[in-house]
Amino acid sequence: MIVVLLILHALMAVALLGAITHQALSVLRISPAANGRWTFIDRFRGVDATAYTTPIVVLFAVTALGGALLYPQYRVDVRPALEDTQNVAANGVFEIKEHLVAIGLGLLPSYWLFWRRPNGPETAAPRRYLTWLLAFFVWWSFIVGHVLNNIRGLLPS
Amino acid sequence: MNGSRLTIFSMMFGVIYLVAFYYDLALFRYYPEVSEFHWLRHDNLGVVILWYGWIATSALASAAIAFAVPKSLADRLWPGWAWIIPTAVVVAMLIYERRWFV
Repeated sequence: MIVVLLILHALMAVALLGAITHQALSVLRISPAANGRWTFIDRFRGVDATAYTTPIVVLFAVTALGGALLYPQYRVDVRPALEDTQNVAANGVFEIKEHLVAIGLGLLPSYWLFWRRPNGPETAAPRRYLTWLLAFFVWWSFIVGHVLNNIRGLLPS
Repeated sequence: MNGSRLTIFSMMFGVIYLVAFYYDLALFRYYPEVSEFHWLRHDNLGVVILWYGWIATSALASAAIAFAVPKSLADRLWPGWAWIIPTAVVVAMLIYERRWFV
C-alpha cells in the first residue's frame, strides 16, 4: 500500500512540476527573438498560463496530502536510519522540504487570487513572484523527495 | 473570505508557521509508532510528528487574523506584501535551517 501511495505521490509531483514550470517560465519577461523564430523555450513559455492556476492549486494540495500520508513511514523508518548513518544533511534538506510545502499550502489562496484577478500592473508582480516562489518549493521538494527515496543506492555502502 | 482577507491569510500563514515551528506551538501531536494523536506531549509514545500540528496552528491563527482585520484596512493592503512577506519567511527559515549543514 505504501509503495502504491509513494508512486502516486511521485506521479502527482511530476504533473505539478510540469505545470508550475510552464507557468513560471510564462511570466518571465523576455524580449521576442529578432528573427521572429520560436525556440523550444519560447514554445514552452507560450502557454495560456492562467489555465494552469487551478490545476496547480489542486495538484499542490493533493501532492502535499500524499506526502503527509507518507510522512509517518519516513519518520519511523527512514529518518532514524539517516541519523544512524550520520546523514545530517539529508535530514536537513527534508526538514526544509516540509517547511516549504507547509508555507506553499498557505500561499495557495493568494496565488490563486492573483491569477484570477484581471491583469494589471499592480497584480503582475505579485502574480509573477508568487508563481516563482511556488516553483522553487515544488522543484526543491521534487528533487529532495527523489534523492531521499533513492538514497541507499546513491550513498557508498 | 474576500480577496484582501485571502491575501492576509496567506501572508500570515507563513509567519505563524515559522513561529509555531520555532517555539513548538503544534496544535496537536501525532505519534506514528502507536498511530495516536494527542494534544499534549507524551514522551513514552516514541517518535513524534509535529508538522501536522504546526500547519493546523498556522491555518487557524492566520484565518482568525484574516477575519479580525477590519475590511477597510484589508482593502488598503499593498499587493506587494503578498510575495515580500512569504519570501522573507522562506529566507528566515533557510537561515535557521543552516544548522543541518555546519
